[in-house]
Amino acid sequence: MPTIAIVILILFSAVLAGVVVARPAITASSAGKILAFVVLFFLPLFSLLAGMDNEMQRSKSTAFCLSCHIMDSYGKSLHIDDPSYLAAAHFQNHRVPADEACYTCHTNYAMFGTFKAKLGGLRHLYVYYLKKMPLPQDIKLHESFNNRECLHCHLGARSFEQGATHNADPATLPAIKANTLSCVSSGCHDMVHNVGHWGDKVKFWDGGS
Amino acid sequence: MRSGDSMNRRLRISGILVIIGLLVEALCLVWSRPIAFVVLVCLGGALIGIGVLLFLYSLASGPPQPANASGVARDKH
Repeated sequence: MPTIAIVILILFSAVLAGVVVARPAITASSAGKILAFVVLFFLPLFSLLAGMDNEMQRSKSTAFCLSCHIMDSYGKSLHIDDPSYLAAAHFQNHRVPADEACYTCHTNYAMFGTFKAKLGGLRHLYVYYLKKMPLPQDIKLHESFNNRECLHCHLGARSFEQGATHNADPATLPAIKANTLSCVSSGCHDMVHNVGHWGDKVKFWDGGS
Repeated sequence: MRSGDSMNRRLRISGILVIIGLLVEALCLVWSRPIAFVVLVCLGGALIGIGVLLFLYSLASGPPQPANASGVARDKH
């Protein structure tokens, strides 16, 4: 449901609730009882659920993640004009949806993964508002990046299964699939965001959304 | 009469809580900041939840309905 529709529904519910507050005696009649039930039970709970769902959907957006200043550099890293930067290459080539770029890679593709990702987001809020914020380049993942998140899309893809580097050693591909060899380990796809280590020569692509 | 007044008072309080909760929710939906979700759930959700529970309590603790009395009267015939 679009945000504006939910806001209109909420304001409509509030006005009707105002009628019950102003004249509670109308609940003496059957119609008044039905109105009170709709206005003080059904509509508030429906509005709350619709609002929470709307916020949950919005929290997946790239704009939402980048709305905290500390994420500015990470947002900028998506526009680096260098395909060796993993996040930039994925974002610019739409290997991930551009409007849900952060969420697509940083969610947890397991049972309750979305829920865990939201809990992680609450931890970010806690640090952002109540603790001393680290420098952008000092931000670390809560746990090492699981290959499962990459394999969610890449598993079975020809470029992954038949890639020359992946097959140079017969042990490599099984190790990647078993998450014993990280995709982002040193010497592999280790240029992800690299915030704080760009140097002066890095260029930015100003296209895309 | 007194229980009716008390029920009306509970309905009023319940309605006010629900209205404040709804307004908080509306503000959070318009306010595009990550903290908005927490405020929506913790403050808006709590106000709406308490308002709804108070409404349900006012229903459960309301005066007996006169319709029951007419039913009893019918049974006597």
